[in-house]
Amino acid sequence: MAEPSDTVPPARPLVLMRFRPVWTYIDGVREFCRFFCDTTFKTSDLAERASVVIQETLENAVKYSTGGDEAELELRIQSQGETIEFSVSSLPDPLHLPTLRAELSSIASQTPEEAYVAAFLRAASEPGEASRLGLARIRHEGRAELSLEEEPGGRIRITATGTVC
Amino acid sequence: MLNPALLPPPDVTSVKIGVSSDGVTLSGSITTKEPDRSLGRFFRTVHEAALQSRLSELRVDVRGLSFVNSSAIRVFIDWAIWVSQATGTGYRLRFVRNPNVTWQRVSFPAIAQLAAQHVVIEDGS
Repeated sequence: MAEPSDTVPPARPLVLMRFRPVWTYIDGVREFCRFFCDTTFKTSDLAERASVVIQETLENAVKYSTGGDEAELELRIQSQGETIEFSVSSLPDPLHLPTLRAELSSIASQTPEEAYVAAFLRAASEPGEASRLGLARIRHEGRAELSLEEEPGGRIRITATGTVC
Repeated sequence: MLNPALLPPPDVTSVKIGVSSDGVTLSGSITTKEPDRSLGRFFRTVHEAALQSRLSELRVDVRGLSFVNSSAIRVFIDWAIWVSQATGTGYRLRFVRNPNVTWQRVSFPAIAQLAAQHVVIEDGS
């Protein structure tokens, strides 16, 4: 007889999509996720937060993806109880990884609002550079905590975890 | 006063831009990859026209802008910085927002903090 396990099996994804890392897909995928959250959880607040999370995670994944057949993005939405997780797996240029790790660690060391204001100050002081506001927006506007998982084969998974309400 | 005839808005997919004598109205969404190349250039032209016509205040009505990406927020940040760095009389930049729209409620106070003497946030209905 099998021993009872302490580990809770992972929730089955509510949404699971795979697609090529193409900028023009982002709008359609975001709007589907907004509709999905609005319809499934009956909360427009979550739908708006989901839009920010999906837009910014997908933009990052598309911007830094390598080319080739293995570069498909995978988007998952999972929910258990009051918790909801949005995660995007991608195959980024390995040169981008240290920057991403540093950015996540810097953001995590501050409150969401502090990190957001700091990102605005940095953008203001670096005219002509990339905005780099996306991850701070996910934490503050999206009210989601971010984590990074490195997967075999050079893939990474960025997960944004928040609450349904 | 601005002369709308001299400020033709750029053709940006999914956003509608209106120009009047006292400012700009935006509606739709902005999620293009490089909005600085289209909208940013247009905002810069409006900014220079406002300085040239010695406008005391310029209204930017974003209430109808339901969603933007971070590159678009960056364009608004740039505008706030231009106003704060303008030499001479300058003008006040008034953003009219809808506080019920999350990105507007959260991001405009942060933009105003960057140029507190020059940027005003007004809550519209």
